[in-house]
Amino acid sequence: MDNAQQKTKARKNLFSKILTYLLLFSGAFLSLFPFYWMFVIATNPNHVVNRLPPAMIPGDHLVINFLNVLSNINFFGAMFNSFIVSTAITFSVLFLSSLAGYAFAKLKFKGKNVLFVFILVTMMIPPQLGLIPSYLIITKLGWISDLRAIIVPGMVSAFGIFWMRQYIKEAIPDELIEAAKIDGCSRFRIYWMIVIPLILPAFATLGIITYMNVWNDFMWPLIILKDESVHTIQVALRLLNDAYVRDYGMIMSGTFWATIPLVIIFLIFNKFFIDSLTKGAVKS
Amino acid sequence: MADYQPVRTKVKSGKPKKRFMSEERKDALAAYLYISPFFIIFSVFSIFPIFFSFYLGLQRWNGLGSMEYVGLRNFRLIYEDPMFWKSIYNTFVIALMGTLPQLFVAFLLAFALNSTLIKFKNFFRISFFMPNVTSIVAVAIVFGTLFTNSETGLVNLVLSYFNISPINWGTNEWGLKVAIASMVFWRWVGYNTIIYLAGMQSIPNELYEAAKIDGANLRQQITYITLPLLKPVIIFTVFVSTIGSLQLFTEPLVFLGRTMREEGITMVLYLYREAFVNNAFGTASAAAITLFFIIIVFTTINLLIANRLGNSK
Amino acid sequence: MFSKKASILYVVLVFMLVLAACSSNGSNSENAGETDDSNDNQSAENIELTMWTFGSPGYDKFLEEYKEVNPNVTIRIQSADLADHHNNLFTAISAGSGAPDITMIEAGYIDQYREAQEMFVNLYDLGAEEIKGDYLDWTWSNAESADGDFLFGVPTDIGPTVMYYRTDVFEEAGLPTDPDEVHALIQTWDDFRKVAKEVTEKTGKPMTDNVNLIYYSLRDQSPETYFDRDNNLIINDSPYIKNAYDYATQLIEDGVVGRIEMWSPEWGTAMNDGSFATLLAPSWMQNVITGNAPEAAGKWSITHLPEGAGNWGGSYLGVPSQTKHAEEAYAFISWLLSPENQLKSFKQEGLFPSTPAIYDDPAFTEHTDEYFSGVKTAKIYSEAAQQVQIAYTGPGYAIANSEIGTALANVNNENRDPEKEWEEAVKRIERQLERR
Repeated sequence: MDNAQQKTKARKNLFSKILTYLLLFSGAFLSLFPFYWMFVIATNPNHVVNRLPPAMIPGDHLVINFLNVLSNINFFGAMFNSFIVSTAITFSVLFLSSLAGYAFAKLKFKGKNVLFVFILVTMMIPPQLGLIPSYLIITKLGWISDLRAIIVPGMVSAFGIFWMRQYIKEAIPDELIEAAKIDGCSRFRIYWMIVIPLILPAFATLGIITYMNVWNDFMWPLIILKDESVHTIQVALRLLNDAYVRDYGMIMSGTFWATIPLVIIFLIFNKFFIDSLTKGAVKS
Repeated sequence: MADYQPVRTKVKSGKPKKRFMSEERKDALAAYLYISPFFIIFSVFSIFPIFFSFYLGLQRWNGLGSMEYVGLRNFRLIYEDPMFWKSIYNTFVIALMGTLPQLFVAFLLAFALNSTLIKFKNFFRISFFMPNVTSIVAVAIVFGTLFTNSETGLVNLVLSYFNISPINWGTNEWGLKVAIASMVFWRWVGYNTIIYLAGMQSIPNELYEAAKIDGANLRQQITYITLPLLKPVIIFTVFVSTIGSLQLFTEPLVFLGRTMREEGITMVLYLYREAFVNNAFGTASAAAITLFFIIIVFTTINLLIANRLGNSK
Repeated sequence: MFSKKASILYVVLVFMLVLAACSSNGSNSENAGETDDSNDNQSAENIELTMWTFGSPGYDKFLEEYKEVNPNVTIRIQSADLADHHNNLFTAISAGSGAPDITMIEAGYIDQYREAQEMFVNLYDLGAEEIKGDYLDWTWSNAESADGDFLFGVPTDIGPTVMYYRTDVFEEAGLPTDPDEVHALIQTWDDFRKVAKEVTEKTGKPMTDNVNLIYYSLRDQSPETYFDRDNNLIINDSPYIKNAYDYATQLIEDGVVGRIEMWSPEWGTAMNDGSFATLLAPSWMQNVITGNAPEAAGKWSITHLPEGAGNWGGSYLGVPSQTKHAEEAYAFISWLLSPENQLKSFKQEGLFPSTPAIYDDPAFTEHTDEYFSGVKTAKIYSEAAQQVQIAYTGPGYAIANSEIGTALANVNNENRDPEKEWEEAVKRIERQLERR
């Protein structure tokens, strides 16, 4: 390529780079705006929520609103409960789903396809009507107002198994597994030493998604966790809704601070898992 | 696939090889053990609710009194209800508007965020994920304000610059769908982005390098490297998104509020209203069962299409 | 076979589970309301009652006092948001276990249980007849069964409806602004319609925010609504609902009805800016107005609705039949909701009482509110409360209401034909009722 051609190529590159950045930044702005707005309302008195066009500038009620939250609900207690539940479930789902996903992806056994399809089919059933019978089961187990009622049913997920299976299929070549078997590795060892390091991005993704889903879930904890001492944060936040009147400054304040841990979790997962994989190179 | 070095690991010494444990046996034993937690928990917690939900389809029950067997009456009643068919129509339209474009955009976003040319990757990643994390209450208020009926609403204002008269987003047939679809798109595009991103990260960079040296442009790289290698993940997102869009519930619920207007009611919202607002659990179950079969059919269709597209490359 | 790392992971997992289990053991209270009493001698036994409430009724402030009088009875209050509370209640009652000893039920949610009244203890069996006279008869009757033999709950607070109006908009239209004068001006619904046209002509602003509140006002003044006492749908035969609907749609045609969605940010702004003239709403709406429109202080006033008053909201305390301590539960309820204690609730939390005896208390007759132009707000609400006559609602009430609401929204927002919308709404109601 001569100089002129190189220059036009460079210009084209610059142009597409600028375009890409433009799109990315506008996308980021659109994605972040409601969250930012939430913060604005959280730092303002209630009536600011009505402003049209929407309020843009944070106010001075940051502390007042949050103190209101604290006086109405056991915020930190509920956060702790959410933390326990989310962490326990995430650990469990990551471990059990990857094991099962590995089995479906790489091991040969009878009934593999049927069982896998069964798992997929369970994802297709609308869950709403299961609420009352599920409640019944938990009552029979004596687990009302017990965090176990949230944790144990959530320990494995069809979504997680499916995700891990797909990812392991994509990321781990069969030859690798075969070679390890020839070397005499146990199935578990193969899983532990070979599969896991190569699917860290899958762990990160599933980890974030699971943590977030559990943290944000309120329908099920609402029905099960009656006693205020076991409330998770979403259930507790709903207590801020008065019968007919709502103080949105206070509600958004509680919600905002309850979301911050999720952001932290995302950053942790992002840093430790996604970036830890040097792209595609398999360690010898 | 590029060539991989076989991994050498230490062999555990001193363990006698049992002929009993053939390779197939070892595989099977490990496999059944690994998948058992799911099935155990499922049978304890999920089987009864599922059977119960299906059993209810043949009963007449208001949730409180006794059940009355009515055979297929529930199915007949809901199939005669125009609202039921409307809800199916709505679900599909909103799915096409909100979910289908979302997958394409998520793919492109993931590709951009994976490329080495872009800085601030972490910032973008977390930004695009924020919608999924932001409180649904806040999202509902923001979107409600954007898509308000009055001419001072932001979207209506923008439309007025193009000389389009304000739309009643809350009650209009297409307005409502567009509003809900945009909410769905906005909330889930980041989610799918990080899924595609994770998938792309297991594709070795050397492949792209080699392709570039061979003179492949961006589109060719995507077509011949990314897409085929990403196929299992794409199938995953197609499957999960199909189910998610057919089971769309939270966004329309939050946008419609208690009105549950027919222009925006989705299938799950229909059955939810039937059960928990109208206390007609029998017909709600009939709707749920119908929805279940619809989901099976369409998920299979979508998977076949995705598979076929992947194979043709 | 398992490497060290695996064992560590397992330990962590188990640790998490144990932590979860332990943290909930100390608060395991699902047995609270269902403990089997080993003795039959209940008066000396220590009893724990669970009570479910929503919103902030402030009943926890009464617990200490009650404990002094009844040391062997401990009451635990659990709160939830309005919708969640009722969902939980329904689930617990439906599943047959986990319901509390005492529950609050909002007026609109009693209808769900009318066909299954055995799920609740009949308070008439526990002596509620004796206190009946303390309460407004219309709110009491709403908690009765259709034949009057069964009582679901004792009334807590009520929400009598009045007319909130913007004095500045009225002034701009050349109308009087003093509450008595306004009430004299708008004695009937025809008067309301005339005044509405005047307001819109002279100020360009709609008379109301939307069409619903107009419809509700008329509906709530009717002697019968959608169902007769045998739960037959009478919407096609009884004139009242159709009249209410026709009136509302006529006003839409007159062009005096706004299109502002209730509870939206726009609505709050409109309250603040005075973008509409009147708000036909219940007593508790007062807090919504002051909360949404701090800058409009002194520009709002209150007077009575034409032709009587209605009621929106309010609740009851009932005893689900799953309880094992019905008598103690009722004892607490009747104590908590006595006129004296309702006066306290009013002073502490602003809950409008359902016991008319205390309406003569100075707290009512003298209380004025600067926000509402110095009007004696409590006095107006109590006057309205005594004019309310409610109709039988019936189990399908919510369905019928919802469909008429949709029809009205279609007429208001989409300019559809009122008659056609009415017919469609009736068809939809009939279909949904058939499925129950």
